[in-house]
Amino acid sequence: MFRSAGFRFAAIYAVLLAVSAAASAYYVWWATAGLLDRQVEAAIGTDWQGLAERWAERDVPGLMQTIDDRLMQNVDDDAIYLLVDSRLNRIAGNLERWPSTVQVSGPFYELQVSRAGIRSLAMVRSYDLPGGYHLLIGRDVQVRAQLRRLLTDALLWALVILLALASIGAMVVRSLFRRAIANVSVTAAAIAAGDLGQRVRLSGRGDEFDQLAEVINDMLDRIGRLMDGVRQVSNAIAHDLRTPITRARTRLEDAALHAETAADLQAAIERATQDLDGIVAVFQALLRIAEIEAGSRRAAFTRVDLAPLLADLAELYGAVAEEKDVALEIDLPGALPTFGDATLIQQAVANLLDNAVKFSPPAGTVRLSAVPAPTGPTIRVADQGPGIPAADREHATQRFFRGEAARHTPGSGLGLTLVQAVAHLHGGTLRLEENPGGGLLAVLSLPLPEEGERPNRDVTRAPLA
Amino acid sequence: MLAALACCLALAVPVGVPAQDAPERVTSDTPEFCLHLLDQVSSMVREASTPPSAEVTNLSAEGQKMCAHGQTKGGIMRLRRALVLMRGGVSNR
Repeated sequence: MFRSAGFRFAAIYAVLLAVSAAASAYYVWWATAGLLDRQVEAAIGTDWQGLAERWAERDVPGLMQTIDDRLMQNVDDDAIYLLVDSRLNRIAGNLERWPSTVQVSGPFYELQVSRAGIRSLAMVRSYDLPGGYHLLIGRDVQVRAQLRRLLTDALLWALVILLALASIGAMVVRSLFRRAIANVSVTAAAIAAGDLGQRVRLSGRGDEFDQLAEVINDMLDRIGRLMDGVRQVSNAIAHDLRTPITRARTRLEDAALHAETAADLQAAIERATQDLDGIVAVFQALLRIAEIEAGSRRAAFTRVDLAPLLADLAELYGAVAEEKDVALEIDLPGALPTFGDATLIQQAVANLLDNAVKFSPPAGTVRLSAVPAPTGPTIRVADQGPGIPAADREHATQRFFRGEAARHTPGSGLGLTLVQAVAHLHGGTLRLEENPGGGLLAVLSLPLPEEGERPNRDVTRAPLA
Repeated sequence: MLAALACCLALAVPVGVPAQDAPERVTSDTPEFCLHLLDQVSSMVREASTPPSAEVTNLSAEGQKMCAHGQTKGGIMRLRRALVLMRGGVSNR
């Protein structure tokens, strides 16, 4: 039972309530009954000061006279005085003899007294005087004592009732806690058993448990989407790799059965090897994307000038474009500073250029431009190819996505996925738009060096799909 | 919890020493003290340069009568009030 969180919460609730009530009760007692006691003590102290002055002025006779006067004028009939000599013989006052319980001067004593045959309670204090005399000053506190007793009894009973209420409250708290947790627990058990469609039921009150349930449900939704993504990627991998693997197998089988010469056999093996190299390349691309999305490359970020990097790429892809009869236009600034991984950015822009050249029609134009925008460098790659329909653009960066126009073009469907992963890793974005002159316009935005150098954990993980 | 509170309450109660066998008798509730007060009132009336007020006269008369009829406590209270009034309403309390 002590290991139960519900029990602990309930116990803490009960203890806090009891402690608060006890503290409040003690304060009430201190401010009422305690105040009465303090008033009596103050009255005795004041009395002593006056009598001490008389003693100093007129010695024993003066003190006797003052005590007598005070007793005669004591309208409240509550004063007690007793002056005795060193042998405790009574000299003045209204107490018959020195009480045996009062042994030392200083502390206050409670004294049982008899007034006209009726028992009463007094609070007294003894003072030593020069010459061995002793003075007892007191007040009748019977009424105050009764009031204090009543108050104390009332407070104690209130505490007993409060303890009972605290116990009942603790049980209610425990029950509510268990009920709220049971809802989450049942859902978690169902999910653990494989039913991912289960969700935590909301009470509709909008309280903390509802907020927790909403967070858990959001988490489950996201896990569901991720699982769908994983399933989709697995299906895509299986689908995209089945064709080249089957093709390689068929070629090898055909060569084994029908090759007549060693040269035929060699040629079949080489073609199968090319197919398998393509498969390996797909896996390498997938691993690279996973590595980028994991954010581990972020530790190697530095300040980078993209201008020479883009110029090198333009030179490289200029030759490729020329072979396809495609013109490559460039418009680059003198300097384009950013903060990131130069190799990854180069890979991302290379993918964009590769796509642009690949999908451009003969005699088309690919334009590579970059501007140092206020928010960071922006790299644009525009082509005059078939473009991507607006409905497909949000899916274009998913793994293995192949648009209708790209069905018959070689490719793995991972190029734009990698570009987006690189953009997210750098805290930037990849936008795919329609090129005003027809075709696709890919806009890769990266942060300024100052912004990129700030820690930004949100961008270290890009969505899986 | 109750024990703790009781302990706290007990701490605030004045210190007592050995248990008391019998209550100590207070002598300012006795007929003798009543007579003593009456003597004082009479003495002050005699020594006063002006006659006492009607209230003082009434209080002392009532006090005397009550003490004579055994109502000591009430008689003492009235005589004390008469004394206080004669002394200019200055109480020692």
